[in-house]
Amino acid sequence: MRIDILPLLCALRRNPTGAVLVVLQIAITLAVLVNAAWIVNQRIAQIEQPTGLDTPDTFGMIVGAASSEFNVQQAEAEDLAYLRSLPGVAAAAMTGGIPLTSQGAMGATLWPRPGRGGEAEGTNFLNASGNLLQTLDVPLIAGRDFRPDEIRTPVPGKGAQPPAEIILTQALAQALFPGENALGRAVYTADSYPLTVVGITRNFMDAVGVSGGPLYHAALIPFAPGQRSYYALLVRAQPGRRDAVLRAARQHIGASHPDGVIASLETFSSAKRAFDADNRNMAVLLAVVTALLVIVCCLGIFGLATFNVGTRTRQIGIRRAVGARRRDVVTHFLVENAIILAAGTLLGSLLGLAVGDWLSARYGLPRLDLAYLVGGIAGLWVVGQLAAWQPARKAATVPPSVATRTV
Amino acid sequence: MIGYYVRLALKSFRRTPGLTALMACAIACGIAACIVTLTVYHTLSGNPIWWKNGVLYAVTMDSWDPKSPYDPAQPGLAPDQLTYQDATYLFDSDIPRHKALLTLIGGALSGAPGQSIPAIAFTDATTAGFFHMFDVPFEYGGPWSAAADRGPDPVIVLSRNENDELFGGADSVGRSILWNDQRFRIVGVLDHWRPEPKFYSLSGGGTGDFGGTTDAFVPFRWDVTQRHWPAGTFGCWGSSPTNTYRELLGSECVWVTLWVELPTAGQRRRFLDFMNAYWAHQRANGRFQRPRNNHLWKVSQWLKMHHVVSDDSRLLLRLAFAFLAVCLINTVGILLAKFLRGAPVSGIRRALGASRRQLFEQHLVEVALLSLGGSSLGVALGALGLQGVHAMYAGSEAGYGAAAHFDVQGILWALALAALSTLVAGVYPAWRIGRVSPAAYLKSQ
Repeated sequence: MRIDILPLLCALRRNPTGAVLVVLQIAITLAVLVNAAWIVNQRIAQIEQPTGLDTPDTFGMIVGAASSEFNVQQAEAEDLAYLRSLPGVAAAAMTGGIPLTSQGAMGATLWPRPGRGGEAEGTNFLNASGNLLQTLDVPLIAGRDFRPDEIRTPVPGKGAQPPAEIILTQALAQALFPGENALGRAVYTADSYPLTVVGITRNFMDAVGVSGGPLYHAALIPFAPGQRSYYALLVRAQPGRRDAVLRAARQHIGASHPDGVIASLETFSSAKRAFDADNRNMAVLLAVVTALLVIVCCLGIFGLATFNVGTRTRQIGIRRAVGARRRDVVTHFLVENAIILAAGTLLGSLLGLAVGDWLSARYGLPRLDLAYLVGGIAGLWVVGQLAAWQPARKAATVPPSVATRTV
Repeated sequence: MIGYYVRLALKSFRRTPGLTALMACAIACGIAACIVTLTVYHTLSGNPIWWKNGVLYAVTMDSWDPKSPYDPAQPGLAPDQLTYQDATYLFDSDIPRHKALLTLIGGALSGAPGQSIPAIAFTDATTAGFFHMFDVPFEYGGPWSAAADRGPDPVIVLSRNENDELFGGADSVGRSILWNDQRFRIVGVLDHWRPEPKFYSLSGGGTGDFGGTTDAFVPFRWDVTQRHWPAGTFGCWGSSPTNTYRELLGSECVWVTLWVELPTAGQRRRFLDFMNAYWAHQRANGRFQRPRNNHLWKVSQWLKMHHVVSDDSRLLLRLAFAFLAVCLINTVGILLAKFLRGAPVSGIRRALGASRRQLFEQHLVEVALLSLGGSSLGVALGALGLQGVHAMYAGSEAGYGAAAHFDVQGILWALALAALSTLVAGVYPAWRIGRVSPAAYLKSQ
């Protein structure tokens, strides 16, 4: 089967406008398709980043004072005792905020050497007054949890006693002391106040959106209960029991404090979902718009092919009359479409790479993976040829007798 | 002649219904995508108080740690809030026409009829000038007077939502309510007011920039009188202790926002001089050890500086324009094909005496009609798309759902874009067909 390229090229040269327009469409579509797929892939990767916590089973509740009569210490103790006795609860602890949300979030900067020596690392931190690691279900990789004597209560008349110990996540420990063992070392606050690292945990996400630096930078600091006018209760339920436990806890705690009130209640799952919302929405919007774009491009290819078939009816008839088979006619149009697709994808690849470069420079994204480019070209080829299939088939039905007509 | 052209155009549409539908749909899709992203972008990056952009200013001074900047990612930036001493001192100046101190505190409202448990209320402790400066609408009553600020008088303004919850939406002005256990008199209830974004106070406090609303407003001095610790974002540096409330007031912790209204350049200059003089005096006393960074921020600059609009919406905007470009190229191609197919008829018209211009007009009318049809469809699709976006963003912490409402300005923008773009797309084909030489088409093939 011979494929005559030359007549095709001549035909294109005589009336290039339609073809040029379709080439432009294909180029823009490919550039967008490849980069959009790349961005969507990254967003999905961000969503799939593990929290390091027991997300499906844990929830947090912040209880605050509704009047000055609120006895925080007593309320905290009562609530913890109640929660720990509630069936279906695996662990409960009191802290200052709810991880994965910005509520009660605290951030700080730490240095590996006094006098702000070394590279500063921003981090979130959680106040721990006992049982926090068990409740968060975060295991210790090295070292130990805080001892009861390290959780110092305020001395009457002298105010709060500053903490002297700290527990870091592995990511934070690695950032502060790259390649070394952070256990037993001291990290320093902005005022060169030392905190001894007594434990290193597996990575987990604390507050999001609060200036604390990279995602898995988190720390625990010993903090005795009763020092603020509010407290956060974290509860990890046994698998499948979270909703029942949440209902019971909300009802009991909400009713048991006449001077206190539940300020907020949030499960880790809904917090993570909200946190992912931006990425998820962006991925959806990108996917939808890109899909529409590909459809419009295919419509353009279809339109051009139909037009070509329409204007060349007589030529097709003549060719059939001198012996071309139906198959040859179909091939003719598919090959013409292939030439346009080739030009379009070539231009589109250049455009796509340029756009990818610009995106990574402007928005700090990683460089475009060439696999996406190859995949995009292949995909567009398939749908592009499919779009031209029906007009090509229709062209094959032109009877040879058309050649003999003069009208 | 226009009527004749319109009839011709309609006949031409009916002759190739499939192709016409195709073009209209392609235009509609492109327009719809642009409408959705433009509206979302416009609302998200929009300045909700744009009519006062040259008049309202946020005041910042860099009282932060000399050894490291407030935000390491933007070292030239001062903290967005002031310390208590700086804010109250600058507030006492009578150069600005209106001025407002602002800080977020926690509160509990109780004592409303039928209320069994207290309601947590995010409260902005502010001054009377706040309501005038930000054109805050009232449903009942109004703001308190400047004298009430001095008292401070136990007066409170409720948000519409809070009033709905506590009093069923009735006129509660004059009634009393317990705020943090103290009896306050309600002097005003706000109407619907959710400036998107919540630019006047970027302090999160768990509510975020979008969708978080303040439930109540009280005079600023109550914060001090009741010794409330700030409930919003606040930052401290330095080794001076901040264990007692007194120490907090004298500390370098930043937790108060100051807004001033300075309509003329002269006033701005005078206020800046006033700030600089204060800065110099304090520096001589050992404070303000960082380089001088006294700044007055317009709302639009304030929003931009705090990156309130994400990069994502800009990216989507560019994508939408690429999409529109492809749709328009598509339309040009199809129109060209269609007109060229009708070239013989146009040739006969030319032979019968139609001028080039008349042919051009005829085809332009056809394009205009197509543009009208496609744009209307596009606007309808766009409205549908916005509903979808609303559903997608509703309930997210960002609260974009409320932000993406279809306002009149957005509709006009979209229609203008649609009409203009399809007309532009149709000009080339119409012009091409006008240049048809009649003789070629009068011959039989």
